[in-house]
Amino acid sequence: MVKLNEVYQSYQRFVLGTASVIGFILLWQLLLTYIIPFNSFFITKPSLIAVAAKDLVSSGKLWHDLAVSSKAFVWGFTAAVLIGIPFGLVMGWRRRVEYALDPFLTALYASPLVALAPLLIVVFGVGLTGKAVLVFLLAVFPFIFNVFAGVKSTELLLINVVRSFGGKEKDLYFKVILPSTLPYIVAGARIAIGRGIVGIIVGEFYAASEGIGYSIALYGDTYRLPEMFVGIMLLMILAVLLTSGMRKLELTLAPWKVGQEGR
Amino acid sequence: MISYVRAENIKLTFRPKNRDPVTALDGFTFEAWRGEFLSLVGPSGCGKSTFLNVLLGLIKPDSGMLELDGQKITGPGLERAMVFQEFGLLPWRTVLANVELGLELKGIPASARRERSSELINLVGLTKFENHYPHELSGGMKQRVGLARALATDPDVLLMDEPFAALDAQTRDIMQMELLQIWDRTKKTVLFVTHSIEEAAYLSDRVIVMTARPGKTKSVIKIDLPRPRDYEMRLTSKFNGIKLKIWNALKEELVYRENLRES
Amino acid sequence: MNSLKGFYRDYEPTILGTAFILLTLLLWQMIPLVMTLSKGMALFFTTPAQIVRTFFDLIEQGELQKHFYVSAVEFIVGLGLSIVVGLPLGIIVGRSPVLNALFDPFITAFNATPRLVFLPLILLWLGIGIWSKIVIVFIGALFPLLINTYEGVRNVDRVLVNVVRSFGANEWQIMKLVVLPNSLPYVVTGLRLAIGRAILGVVVGEFFGASEGLGFMIAMAAGSYLVDVVFVGVTLFMGISLILTMSVKMIESRLSRWRPEDVKTF
Repeated sequence: MVKLNEVYQSYQRFVLGTASVIGFILLWQLLLTYIIPFNSFFITKPSLIAVAAKDLVSSGKLWHDLAVSSKAFVWGFTAAVLIGIPFGLVMGWRRRVEYALDPFLTALYASPLVALAPLLIVVFGVGLTGKAVLVFLLAVFPFIFNVFAGVKSTELLLINVVRSFGGKEKDLYFKVILPSTLPYIVAGARIAIGRGIVGIIVGEFYAASEGIGYSIALYGDTYRLPEMFVGIMLLMILAVLLTSGMRKLELTLAPWKVGQEGR
Repeated sequence: MISYVRAENIKLTFRPKNRDPVTALDGFTFEAWRGEFLSLVGPSGCGKSTFLNVLLGLIKPDSGMLELDGQKITGPGLERAMVFQEFGLLPWRTVLANVELGLELKGIPASARRERSSELINLVGLTKFENHYPHELSGGMKQRVGLARALATDPDVLLMDEPFAALDAQTRDIMQMELLQIWDRTKKTVLFVTHSIEEAAYLSDRVIVMTARPGKTKSVIKIDLPRPRDYEMRLTSKFNGIKLKIWNALKEELVYRENLRES
Repeated sequence: MNSLKGFYRDYEPTILGTAFILLTLLLWQMIPLVMTLSKGMALFFTTPAQIVRTFFDLIEQGELQKHFYVSAVEFIVGLGLSIVVGLPLGIIVGRSPVLNALFDPFITAFNATPRLVFLPLILLWLGIGIWSKIVIVFIGALFPLLINTYEGVRNVDRVLVNVVRSFGANEWQIMKLVVLPNSLPYVVTGLRLAIGRAILGVVVGEFFGASEGLGFMIAMAAGSYLVDVVFVGVTLFMGISLILTMSVKMIESRLSRWRPEDVKTF
């Protein structure tokens, strides 16, 4: 009986949520069509957005922009993974390294590193490199700190268990620390994705000739609002898909951590 | 009676950072015979768990002699295995994979591992749960896995650190009886640390009562009950007499609260 | 000798941490002494000493204060608005499961998306005056506050609510005695995250549509290759961000002493 209640409740949430979104879109469309005077320099309607979306998709422009932005994102993000995770591991495991690096890295993490964007663009130019470096700088810290937290949270008990069975250093890393840290790595990835997207957008707003961010800014400058909204919504959808995908991954990788939420 | 495990004049002081040093053991001397079931009882903090960890090889004493079957103990080794109070199962491994841990570290190939582990899982009565994860098991079941894991490497000495303390009373009684059965079949030397006088008296051949910190041997009490021992034995006056003997040795080491006495 | 060893042991984290930072600054300062930079690199290079000098120059000229003031106003007003809107909204959404379900898709979508993408739209609507920046700060800071507040409200132990209710408390008293104290640590966490987002909003907003403010100063300086000015700006943001988040963290841990270990969000 309890199970049924739960199912009904989550079903209810889904229905309400969907109704809310649909209602919002309808309201938007109706208000601007019949009630509020429509100024195309200022606002746009869902119907126009839909048309613009169709055009951008069929002309292939949308995918092209997406591809350009994704390329820089992937480069920067991969670098962040490859550098951030080992850093976090060493920091978590060797206390002296933690003591030395922690204040420095915390200071960097807490600062708006995007502030360096103009400088990076000036140094590295307007293309792939500049954007990728920016993405890297922004995405590397969540990995470092989450992996660090993950390693530190490894139960000492489990380390002792493996040691008592004769496990050496490498056994400790592979059989205890790494599996224990995996959910933290995924949580770090989730946060890093958000920050990385910020990096791409900032980079493209500031100085670029292609890409989703660039296009959004361009459409804004040229008052092409429907197209601009298409770009914005594309990013929203991507961001939501990626982050909720990560959350699901977190849950599957760590079923024993059920009941802990991280935002 | 062959002296099998020997410790002479063990001294150990902990020096935590920013806190006063704590002397856990100050000249602790101890002797266990081959194949016996020996319990260590003592007030909280008397060093009994610490001593068990020293025997396991996870902690090095400051001074003193430690021997197993004539060989010095210098670190962890597969002739000794521990069952931990908080179970210490790797949450990301199935029951089967957990039991295999010691064998894996010993370098035993997969098929041989599987066979041996299944055998032991059967011994502790968990065959149906081989592919379950720890978070799906009850406390008693988790501890059975811990026991199977400890037995998998066929150690000579089984160290048990308050293994049933985290279980409810009924499960505890059942586990005690099962432990005796398994001990009878495998003929290991068992060193068992507990707070419970009843448990010590029921399970052991001999009970060592320790003084308060720093711990020393206060008295050694022989348990003169026939084996196999059933639950009903615990209800006899002979058993109560034994408990009283242990209690008398122990009570002076405990701290009383003045206001609990009748004025 | 022993007391020196003891001192080191007790303060090892601080010593190692400070030493590392000082070492990095020192090495940085020494680079021009050790290598000769090509013409191109020299354009982009500056040293810590130079940055400090520029800092004082800018203060003397009054430049720094002018920009700082503008950014500060944007930050405070934007953050203030987000608190005024976010807290009550968070409480209401938290207490009402229906409202929660209705708003959830929007909140999730907006929270996952970098608020930055709305910047061109906001510039379109509000121009490059101070209000467009305030709005970006506002929407950046709003979501962490909103979400953490409503998590705090939702996570109230049902048992405690029932206990208080059984003593005859009405809805308002329940709020005061159980919900609000329970939510406080969550709110403060939300505030800490909001501050970080707010600063980000100031920086980014001023990069792209502004004529004043520290972010504007940085962007302009970068364009003119005044790397030392850029670093003055960045360091200033870093310092303020650190001070604010550390202070809030202290308050946070004071208030969270009764909480069981949660998974932290960075």
